[in-house]
Amino acid sequence: MNKKSLFVAPLMMSLLLTSCGNVIDYKEHLEDYVYAMKYHDDFNVLQLTDIHWNYNSSTVKSKTYLTKLLAEVDKHLKAAQGESAKIDLIEITGDQFMLANSYHVQTFVKFFEEKAKEYGFLYTVIHGNHDRHGLYNPNWLSDQFRHAEHCIYIEPEDNLYGRSNFIINLTSDGEINSPTSWQLVNLDSGASFSETALSPFRDYDYIREDQVDWWLKEHARVGETVPAIAYYHIPQQDNLEAWNKIHNDGATYKHKFFKLEGFADNGNEEYASKFISEGRNHNLKAAFMGHAHNVDWTVDYDGVVLGLGVKTGTELYYAHIEKDSTDPNMVEGLASVGMNENFDLIGASLVTIKNATDFELEHLYYNERTSGDFAKWVKW
Amino acid sequence: MKKLFDKDNFIFFDMNKEQKKQSLITSLFLIIAFVIASFIFLYAFYGFVDCIGSIVSGSMDVAISDLLRNLPLILCSFMSIWVILLLQASFRRVNDEKWFKSLLKNAIALIAFAVTNIIYIIVGLAIGKYTSMVEGSPSRIYPLDAFMYSFIIIALGVFVVLYVKKYHEKLQYLAPKHGEIVTKARGLYCTFVSFWMLFAMFGLSAGLYSIFIYDFMHEHVFFGIAVILVYLLSPFMLAMWEFFYNEIKEEKKKELLLPLSLISLGVSVLFAVLYIVSLSLNKDAPSNAGFGMFPVAFAASVNIATLLMVFTPVIVSIVMTIKGILLRKKTA
Repeated sequence: MNKKSLFVAPLMMSLLLTSCGNVIDYKEHLEDYVYAMKYHDDFNVLQLTDIHWNYNSSTVKSKTYLTKLLAEVDKHLKAAQGESAKIDLIEITGDQFMLANSYHVQTFVKFFEEKAKEYGFLYTVIHGNHDRHGLYNPNWLSDQFRHAEHCIYIEPEDNLYGRSNFIINLTSDGEINSPTSWQLVNLDSGASFSETALSPFRDYDYIREDQVDWWLKEHARVGETVPAIAYYHIPQQDNLEAWNKIHNDGATYKHKFFKLEGFADNGNEEYASKFISEGRNHNLKAAFMGHAHNVDWTVDYDGVVLGLGVKTGTELYYAHIEKDSTDPNMVEGLASVGMNENFDLIGASLVTIKNATDFELEHLYYNERTSGDFAKWVKW
Repeated sequence: MKKLFDKDNFIFFDMNKEQKKQSLITSLFLIIAFVIASFIFLYAFYGFVDCIGSIVSGSMDVAISDLLRNLPLILCSFMSIWVILLLQASFRRVNDEKWFKSLLKNAIALIAFAVTNIIYIIVGLAIGKYTSMVEGSPSRIYPLDAFMYSFIIIALGVFVVLYVKKYHEKLQYLAPKHGEIVTKARGLYCTFVSFWMLFAMFGLSAGLYSIFIYDFMHEHVFFGIAVILVYLLSPFMLAMWEFFYNEIKEEKKKELLLPLSLISLGVSVLFAVLYIVSLSLNKDAPSNAGFGMFPVAFAASVNIATLLMVFTPVIVSIVMTIKGILLRKKTA
C-alpha cells in the first residue's frame, strides 16, 4: 500500500460507513408521519412503560407477567364495556430496553406480535432515554418495529429531532384523509446530552422547538378543534411546576396517585419545553409519559392532564407502597387512591376515549403473588 | 525511529528456533484469549451496570435478584480473565520452578471456578431460579452457554495440569524467559496494570462492537469515528507495552522508553482532542447515534466513563514519559 492509498483509505471507509439516504424536510413531508386508525367511542389505549428488558432480565418471567397483565386488562374492559370491548392500541412509552441486545429486541417484538393477534390490538413504540443504549444499531432497532406486522412505527430520514415522532389520527373510517376525531401524538423526548464536551454530568433531554413546531403543523392539518393526546417518555418541566404550585402555592388543580421520587426532567430553565404551553392553546387534552418509575402522579394542569404511566414490570427499580409509611408523599398518594394496603407500584395505565370530547383514565396496579395475584384499578 | 525497531533490541531474536515457536504460539493464544475475554467481560459488565442502576435507584432487592441470576455470566467473565493470567504465567516465566507452580495454581483455580459455576446453574434450575436450561437472556440459550463454557474451561484446566505434570522435566523450551516485575510498589503496580487490562478489554470489545452498532448517519459520522478510535486506543496501547516494550532487552529499555512514551503520548492526545472536538460539534451524537458502549455514563447520567476512556491513555502516556525522562537522567 503506497502513501496515497494510506491517506485515501480512511476517507473511503468513512464514506462507506455513512448513510447516503435523502434527508427530508419535515415541513414539506407532514403526510409522511401519519397513520390512521378507525375511531369509535370507547376507544381503549393501554399505556405500558419502562419495561426495561436488560442483560439480567428473565424474559420468560417478564413475558409471564405481561401475559397476565394483558389478560387482566381484557377482562376488565369486557366487564366494563361489554363482550366486544378490547384493547384497541397499546402505547409503549419508552425504555423498553436498557443495556439489552438483539435477542431481547427480537423476543420483545415476537411477544407483542403474538399478543396483538390474540387480542386484536395494534401497538406502537416510542423511544425512551435508554432504548438506544444497547448492543444493537438504533436503525436496526427502528427496523424491528417498522417491519412488525401489528406495530405502528414511523421514522422518516428527516431533519426533525429524534426518531419516534409520528401521529396516529383516529378518523371516521380509518382512512388518512377522512375527518379526524382524535389525534394521538407520539414524540421522542430524547435521551441525554452534554452541555459541553467536558461536562461531568449529562442533562436529560427535552422536547425540542422543532418537534413542537412539527406537531402544531400536524395538528393544523386535521383542524384546530380536534382534541389531542400526547405520549412521550421524559416528563417536561410542567409536571414539577404543577406539583410546586399545589404543594407550595396552594393551587387547587385536580391531582391523584403517587409521586415518590423526582420527575427526572431536564430541570434547567434554558431547556424548558414549550410543548405543553403551546398544546394548551391547541386542544391538547392530555400528555402521558414514563421515565420516573416511582411516580404515576397525574394532574389537571390548567386544562391539560399530565400523567406518568404506571411502570410495567419489575425490571431495574420500582416503588413498594407501604400502608404504614410515614413518608408524606406515600401517605398523600395512598389517601388519593383510597387504598390501605401494601403493594408494588407496577402495572399499566388505561385511557378510554369515550366520545368526541372526553376521555377517562384508570391506573392498574398489578402484582404477582404466590397467594393469588393482586389487581387493583383506580379511576382518575 | 530506526533504532526503535532494531532487531538487536529484542529478546525474541536471540531465541533459538524452538523458543521462537513457543513464544509465537503463546502470544497467539494470549491474543485469542484476550479477545474472547473482552467480549465476555463486556456482557458481564452490562449486567453489572444494570445492578448498579437498581442499587442507585433504591431497589436493592432487584439488584440482588439480578446479580444472582447473572452470576454464571459474571463467573464466565472471571474465568476468561483467569485464562489470560494463566497464559501470562507461561509467557512471563521468571524461573522454571516458579513458572511450574504458577501454571498449576492457575489451572486448579480455573477448574474450581468452573465447577462452582456448573453446580450453581444446576442448583438454580432445581430451585426454580431458572425456568429451564435455555431460559434465554442475555443470550438465546442462557444459562446453557455458561454451563457449556464452564466445561470447556475445566477441559482446559485439566489439560494444563496433566501436560505440565507429565512434561515438567522436558519443558525447558516452553515459553521465553522474561524479566520479573521489579518495582518498589509492586502491589500498586499490579493493581494499576489489572485495572488497565480491564480497561483495554472493554475498549477492544466496545471499539469492535461500535463499528456495527453505531449509527453513522449524517452529522454523527465524525463523532462515531472519534469514539471508535478512543476505544481501540487502550487495547492497542496495552499490546504495545506487552508485546513490544516487554520484548525489549532490559539493558535497552532505558534508552527506548522515552521515544516509545512520546509516540504513545502524541497518539493519545491526538485522539482525545479528536473526541472533544467531535463532541463539541455535535453534543447530541452520543445518545442519538447509539450509546451502548458507554454503559456507566448512560445509566447514571454522568460522563465519568466517557472521560475515563478518553483521558486514561493520556495519563498512562504521561506517566511513562516522565519515567522515560527520569531514566535517561539517571543513565546520563
